[in-house]
Amino acid sequence: MSAVIEVDALRVRLGRREILQGISCRLGVSGAGKAIGLLGPNGAGKSTLIQTLLGFHKPSAGRARILGFDCHTQAREVKARIGYMPENDSFIGNMTAVAFLRLMGEISGLPKAAALEKAHEVLFHVGLGESRYREIGTYSLGMKQMAKLAQAIVHGPELVILDEPTNGLDPAARQRMLQLIKEMKEQHGMNVLLCSHLLTDVEQVCDEVVILKDGQIVHQADLEAERKSNRRFVQLDVIGDDRGLAAALREVGAEGVSEAPGEWRIVLPADVEIGSLWRVASRERLQIRKLTHRRDTLEEIFLKAVGHIRRTPGDTPAEVPAHGRL
Amino acid sequence: MAVYRRGYQRYDGAITSHFARLMVMPRFSWERILSQRFVVILMVFSLFWPLLCAGFIYLSNHSELWQGFGGSIKKFLAINGNFFSIFMNVQSTFALILASVAGPGLIAPDLANNALPLYFSRPLTRWDYILSRMIVLLGILSLVTIVPGMLLFGMQASIAGGDWFMSNWFLGTGIFIGFTLYIAMVSLVAMASSAYVKWRVVAGALVLAFFFLLAGAAEMVNSIFRVDWASALNPTYAINAVWKGLLDVEIADDKPGAWECATVILGLSGGLLALLARKLRAVEVVK
Repeated sequence: MSAVIEVDALRVRLGRREILQGISCRLGVSGAGKAIGLLGPNGAGKSTLIQTLLGFHKPSAGRARILGFDCHTQAREVKARIGYMPENDSFIGNMTAVAFLRLMGEISGLPKAAALEKAHEVLFHVGLGESRYREIGTYSLGMKQMAKLAQAIVHGPELVILDEPTNGLDPAARQRMLQLIKEMKEQHGMNVLLCSHLLTDVEQVCDEVVILKDGQIVHQADLEAERKSNRRFVQLDVIGDDRGLAAALREVGAEGVSEAPGEWRIVLPADVEIGSLWRVASRERLQIRKLTHRRDTLEEIFLKAVGHIRRTPGDTPAEVPAHGRL
Repeated sequence: MAVYRRGYQRYDGAITSHFARLMVMPRFSWERILSQRFVVILMVFSLFWPLLCAGFIYLSNHSELWQGFGGSIKKFLAINGNFFSIFMNVQSTFALILASVAGPGLIAPDLANNALPLYFSRPLTRWDYILSRMIVLLGILSLVTIVPGMLLFGMQASIAGGDWFMSNWFLGTGIFIGFTLYIAMVSLVAMASSAYVKWRVVAGALVLAFFFLLAGAAEMVNSIFRVDWASALNPTYAINAVWKGLLDVEIADDKPGAWECATVILGLSGGLLALLARKLRAVEVVK
C-alpha cells in the first residue's frame, strides 16, 4: 500500500535560510486511518514542512507527495484530498458557523445542498450544534478551535493536517478534541498529521511519530510497536559507589545506563525478575533509594532525539543515526 | 433522520467543477454586499441617470415632439459617440463610489481574520482567489455600467432601426470594452486598497483618493515640466481618452491619445495586480 506522505530529499529555503535540509521519510499507509505525530523544538521546521505539504512553499530541491500526488506540481489534486486546521485563529468573522462551513465545503468541491447538509452534520459532530447560527467572531477560543476542526473535515478529506489543535483548550475540551481526532482515524478512516508541542496529546492519539530538529528528521518511531513492546524499564536511584553496577547488571541479563550520579535507567528483559536488581545492589553494596517501573515515554523518545538526554538502555545506536536522517 | 441524530459521515459524492468552485466566493459576497442597505440605495440612485438618458433617446427618436424648436436642437439630440461618452462619464462616477463602498470589505476581513490559509489549503490558487474577488466587484459594477449602457444602446438600435445599428455598431462594442476596462481598473484599485488598509472607511477613501491624487500628480508634472504627456497618468483622463477612442469622439491633439492612455491603464492595472499578489499569501514569510 502507498504511503500517505512521502518526502524525498526535501529542501526548503526561505530567503537565505534553509529551513528543511534534505529530509526524507514515508509516513502512514493510504486508507489505513493512522495518525502521525510531528514533533520538534521551536524552529525545527515543523510548520515549514506542513506548509510545504500544503503547497504554500516551493521546495528548493527534492519533492513531497501526498497520497501519490506531488505537493507542488499537482497542488490542486493534493488540496482536494486534504483538510487543514491552522494553528492561529482563522475564520471569517462576520459569518455564522453554518455559513462559514458551507462556504468552505463548497470551495472544497461539495455541491450546494451537500455542503449545507455537511455543515450542519459536522457542527453537531464537534459539539457546536446549538451555536451553529452564531457568528464565529463571537465564539470562545475553545469553540473557535472546534470550528476550525469542523472546517477541516467538512468535505471528508483523506488526510487532515492539524497544527496545534489543543492550543488554548481547557482539560475537558482538550480531551474532547483528542477524542474527535481518534474518531476521525478509527471510525472515519481519515489519516491525521498532528503537529503539537504537547507530547501527551501525540502519545495519546498517534500511531507514528516523526521528530524534527534543525530542519532534519532526527527520529521516526512507530508508537504502536513501542506500546506493544514488552520491554520493562526501571528507574533506579542508588547511594554508594556505583561504578561496577553496569557490569553487574549485564551479568544478570539486564542493561543500564547512568544518567546522573546515582541515577540509573535499566531495561529488564522479560525473563529477568525485578528481585535480581535487589540482589545486584546488595552485592555491589549500594543503597536503593528509589525503584520505579516505567516504559519509554514519548517524552523520553523526544528528549533523546533532540539530544537533551542520553540513550535509553537497550536502544541500538542505529536508531538515531549520526547524520540525523532515517 | 435529523442531522443531530445522524452523526458525521465523510462526504463521498461527486465534486463540482473548478468554475463552480470559483463562483462560490462571489455568490457569498454578493449575498452579503446586497444585504447592505446603503449599497442597494446607491445602486438604485445610480440608475436614475440611465433613466434620464433613456428619456433622451426616446425624445431624440421622436422628432414630432421637438419640431418647433429649430434646427440646432437636432444636433443637440443626436445619439452618437458623444452622447454615450457623456453617459459613461457620469455613470463611471457612480461606479467609483459603489466600488469604494463595496470593495474594502472584500479582502481586508480575510487578512484580519487570517482566513487566507483556509482558502489556499483548498483547491483554490492565489490567482483564483483574486479572480473570485474581482468577479464580485465586476458583477456589482457591471449592473450600473455595462448593463444600463448596453440597454441604452439596444434601445437606441431598436428605435432607430437597422441602418443606425449598421453604421454605429462600434458604439456597442465601445461601451462594453470601455466599461469593462474601467470597472476592471476600479476593481483592482478597490481590492488593492482592501488588501493594504485594514479599516474599511480609510480603504474606501483611498479608492477615491487614488483617482484624485494621481490626477493632481499628473497636472503637477504637466505644469512643472511644461508637457502634456503626463495627462495619461491621470486615470480619469486616461479612461476618458480610451472611451473617446472607442466611441470615435475627437481627442484634443496636444493630449495623449487613446492607445497611449490604454497602455498606461494596462500598466497601472498590472502594477495593482502585482501589489495584490504580493500581499495575498497563505503565510507571511519573514526572510
